[in-house]
Formats: sequence, structure tokens, C-alpha cells
Amino acid sequence: MTGTVVEKITKEDGRVKVKVVTKILEANDRIALENRRLFDKARVFVVNLMSAPGAGKTSVLEKTLAQGTGLRIGVIEGDIAGSDDAERVEKFGIPVVQINTGGACHLDANMIYEVIGDLPLAELDLLFIENVGNLVCPAEFKVGEDMKVMLLSVTEGHDKPLKYPLMFQESSALILNKMDLVPYTDVDISKIRKDALSLNPNLKIFEVSCRTGAGIAEWTAWLGEQAGKG
Amino acid sequence: MHEVSIAQSIIEIVSGQCRKGGYRSITSIRVRIGRASGIMPDALLFAFDAIKADSPARQAVLEIEEVCVSGRCRDCGRDFSVEGEYVLDCPLCGGLAFEITAGREMDVTDMEVEE
Ligand SMILES: Nc1nc2c(ncn2[C@@H]2O[C@H](COP(=O)(O)OP(=O)(O)OP(=O)(O)O)[C@@H](O)[C@H]2O)c(=O)[nH]1
Ligand SMILES: [Mg+2]
Ligand SMILES: [Zn+2]
Repeated sequence: MTGTVVEKITKEDGRVKVKVVTKILEANDRIALENRRLFDKARVFVVNLMSAPGAGKTSVLEKTLAQGTGLRIGVIEGDIAGSDDAERVEKFGIPVVQINTGGACHLDANMIYEVIGDLPLAELDLLFIENVGNLVCPAEFKVGEDMKVMLLSVTEGHDKPLKYPLMFQESSALILNKMDLVPYTDVDISKIRKDALSLNPNLKIFEVSCRTGAGIAEWTAWLGEQAGKG
Repeated sequence: MHEVSIAQSIIEIVSGQCRKGGYRSITSIRVRIGRASGIMPDALLFAFDAIKADSPARQAVLEIEEVCVSGRCRDCGRDFSVEGEYVLDCPLCGGLAFEITAGREMDVTDMEVEE
């Protein structure tokens, strides 16, 4: 059901009912499609990176940039306020744009549309969009990405897939971060894997530690393959 | 958590229709929200009432029709529907080969207006 169907019905009691069948997020989806068209035209593969606050999105970006992928990478940093994350990735000498959502709990397609012109798209192969830290809202708002990748840090607990199913269902890959902390918690990694795969059998799962660097090579190799396809 | 943006989008959609049709005001709005959409109906009602003041929907009542998560099982061939937000296996046979057919809806369906 896309587009708007409008039909006016005057009921017997004189009340007027207007049928307006419209997707609530239609406006956002339309702009996301336009973003996607611009990205495709410039042959940029776009990854929407999502997680709860502090799961390690910026750390994974730093590790990915340090590892080197052979790809020309740019970053859009989405935060409610501040530019700390943008400053962290700028150190790698790559194009970075900071978006402050001013309170909004997610990035939407229009916020991305407004900054696309600030990026040298023609000189990029891969664009990361670090979403606002939040496990619920970003999953619902397309921004024009080729794929969504989510992070879950092991300290968040193994109940998260079934508590936040949408995020796991929408993502192409799950990065289980902070694996170095597993010995200090009672987290059941096999349960996370099992539940996440039940929700999304196609989910690609990476066990990573930004502290020790474990798993980063596997993740970046896979990412490189995906970007090559895109 | 993003119920405010959803409420805003609803108001934009119905305000647009209101302008286009030249109606005086909107008295009620019906939306269809799937259980797997991540939207909490109470939070949406709250958000809607909080922001409707300066719009043609200022007097409107929001009616939410919740849609259950439903699916079709390829193992037993039957259709099913559940109360929760997600399906891990077919509730009828336990099979894992199913497809979800409903539950992600987020639509405005109709509204009542004063001419
Ligand atoms: N022990 C450990 N700490 C980590 C790891 N990855 C990140 N951290 C720490 O976790 C904290 C948050 O990391 P960030 O990368 O800022 O997380 P983020 O998801 O970008 O956070 P927001 O953008 O604020 O939502 C920092 O103190 C990191 O040093 C890891 O693998 N192991
Ligand atoms: Mg960050
Ligand atoms: Zn079945």
C-alpha cells in the first residue's frame, strides 16, 4: 500500500468521512529513496550503523579506519548534541559531517538529505552513518542506506534480541562488541546468537573487541566484500 | 520512543488532506499500527495530544487500530496470528519456515472532518 487514496463519504448523520490510506512514514521513505538515488549515482555504498548509547559505534569506526579497507570512507555522525564523535573520526583525515538532531532520538532521511552536499560523494566508496544511540527508533527510519548494521555490547545482556526484535530483524549484520568483557559478566553469547538468528536467519554475526582488536579483520573483510557488491 | 515523530507525521498527513479538501477541522483520525512496528499506542496517543494544538487536528481524537503479528507457515501450510511482537517458530506446528504477513503496519486509514 503506497501512495494516497482519497475518497469522501458523507454519512447519513451528515458527518463526513475521508478515506486517506497513507503510510505514516511515506514522506520519510520518499526522501530516503532520493538519498539512495544520489548515493547510487555516485557509487557510494552506505551503511547505517545503529546501537544503544555507548555500545561502541564510534570505536568500531575508529578500528575499521585504522585497519584499512582499501576503500575511500566518509562518515556522517548523528548525535543529539556535540561533536565529540566527529572529532574522533576526523583524526583519520577523512571527510566527516556532524549532524545534531537537537533532541530527536534518531536520524531521519531529511537530516541526511540536507548534508549530502557537504560530502565529496564522488571521492567516496563507502559512507558510514553513525545513528543516534538508541535501540528502538532508528530501525524504523530509512535514511537511504544500502544496509543496516547494529552493534550490541555484551554488557547489555542476552535478553536484548527478544526485547528489541525490530532492530535485529532490520539489520544485515550484528557486531557483538566488547567481547573482552565476557569473563566479567554472566552474558550468554550462544543465546544472543540463537535468538538473533531466529528473528533474522540471514543476520551475519561478528564477535569483536575494540579493546583487543579481535574480530575487526573479519568484520572489515566482510564489509569490503559488501561494498564491492554495492 | 519516536512516537512524537510519528504523531507529527500523522498530523502532517491529515493537515495536508484538510487543506486540499478545504475542510474546517478534523474531528477524528484512524490509524492502523502493527504490533511489530515498535510503536506503543499509549505513547502515541500521549504524543498526539501533546502536539496537536496548532494544527487543524487540534480537536481530533486519535483512534488506533492495533494489528496482530500474523504469518503463514510453509511447513504446515496454515495461517497464524500471535499476541506478541515477534514469532520465533510457527505456533501451530513449531516449524521454522514461515513468513510474516502482517504486524508492521503504520498507516493513516481515514478521518472525519467538518466541512
Ligand atoms: N572494554 C571495552 N570497551 C569498549 C569497547 N568498545 C568500546 N568501548 C568503550 O565503550 C565506551 C563507548 O564507546 P563509543 O565508541 O563511544 O560508543 P558509541 O556507541 O559510539 O556511543 P554513542 O555515540 O555515545 O552512542 C568508550 O569508553 C569505549 O572506550 C570494547 O570492545 N571493549
Ligand atoms: Mg558514538
Ligand atoms: Zn506450522
